[in-house]
Amino acid sequence: MKVLAIIPAYNEEACLEKTVEALRATCPDVDYVIVNDGSSDRTAEIIYDRGFNGINLPVNTGLTSGFKAGMKYAQRNGYDAAVQYDADGQHLPSFIPTMAESLEREGADIVIASRVLSGEKVGGLRGVGSKIISLLIRMTAHTTITDPTSGMRMYSSRMIDRFATSFDCAPEPDTIALAARKGFKVIEVPAQMQERQGGESYLNMGNAIGYMARTCLSIIMSCVLR
Amino acid sequence: MLPVYLRVLLVLGAVAALALVGRKVKKEKILVEDAVFWVVLAAIFVLLALFPGIAISLAYALGFMSASNFVYLAIIVLLLWKVFSNSAEISRLKSKVNELTQEIALSQHEKDER
Repeated sequence: MKVLAIIPAYNEEACLEKTVEALRATCPDVDYVIVNDGSSDRTAEIIYDRGFNGINLPVNTGLTSGFKAGMKYAQRNGYDAAVQYDADGQHLPSFIPTMAESLEREGADIVIASRVLSGEKVGGLRGVGSKIISLLIRMTAHTTITDPTSGMRMYSSRMIDRFATSFDCAPEPDTIALAARKGFKVIEVPAQMQERQGGESYLNMGNAIGYMARTCLSIIMSCVLR
Repeated sequence: MLPVYLRVLLVLGAVAALALVGRKVKKEKILVEDAVFWVVLAAIFVLLALFPGIAISLAYALGFMSASNFVYLAIIVLLLWKVFSNSAEISRLKSKVNELTQEIALSQHEKDER
């Protein structure tokens, strides 16, 4: 099975290099592509200097669009699965083969690396938000997702096609809910994650609340409209 | 009766709008196809100012307290619709820019590989 790791990178000079090195060392069989989403820092130079496989978007277009570029790359190069992989070092490469194996064995369309299934407690506001999204997905799609906000998700070739061609398909929990409702098989595997290894997160308190509100509304709206 | 000041305002607004739209078209700052909306709107303003009877009879037929209430409401509804259609247009443009950006990056990558 040909697996591609899509690494969206926007101003990730602080940890991109370490992340890619770790990925290559741990999973030599897994291909990767960095999507440099119009970064203004040294991200592009790092890709060039180190000879990494990366595509450079000339302007910043946002995570959804950057990820779509990665999905188009996966589709055009005939990959069987693509995994969403953070550039900041939060995700551990050792779980990629486990996810790929589950995807193949269960015939799943989406495999989520779940921190909850491995016994990790997602506490605080983040945990509450995660539980609300879980509940919404259970209500609208009748599927139990323990860790909907996990950013490490693997998609089958059917989902790759969908991402590469559709007008509005974000690598976010609302897409998981929609896919589950449309009959795509969504499963989870236990996984650990690390703290961000450098650089800055865009998720502060205000953004987090906005993100939650948007995600919840989007799940409800797409339940009625799509 | 539509108050005189409102009629004067309507005509002034229509003339100003027409002048502005005309200048932008001349300076190639707006496509003629997009300017049509504003020209038609200005024409309706002039029509209403010259023949207030239209607004008055429509307002009373629909049960408004006064004709000006009706004119204001009609304009607000029209503008809301315009803002929404702009929002939809921006969505489409955003999606096109994103597609182009992705395609440029992908074909550049393909070229570099060869």
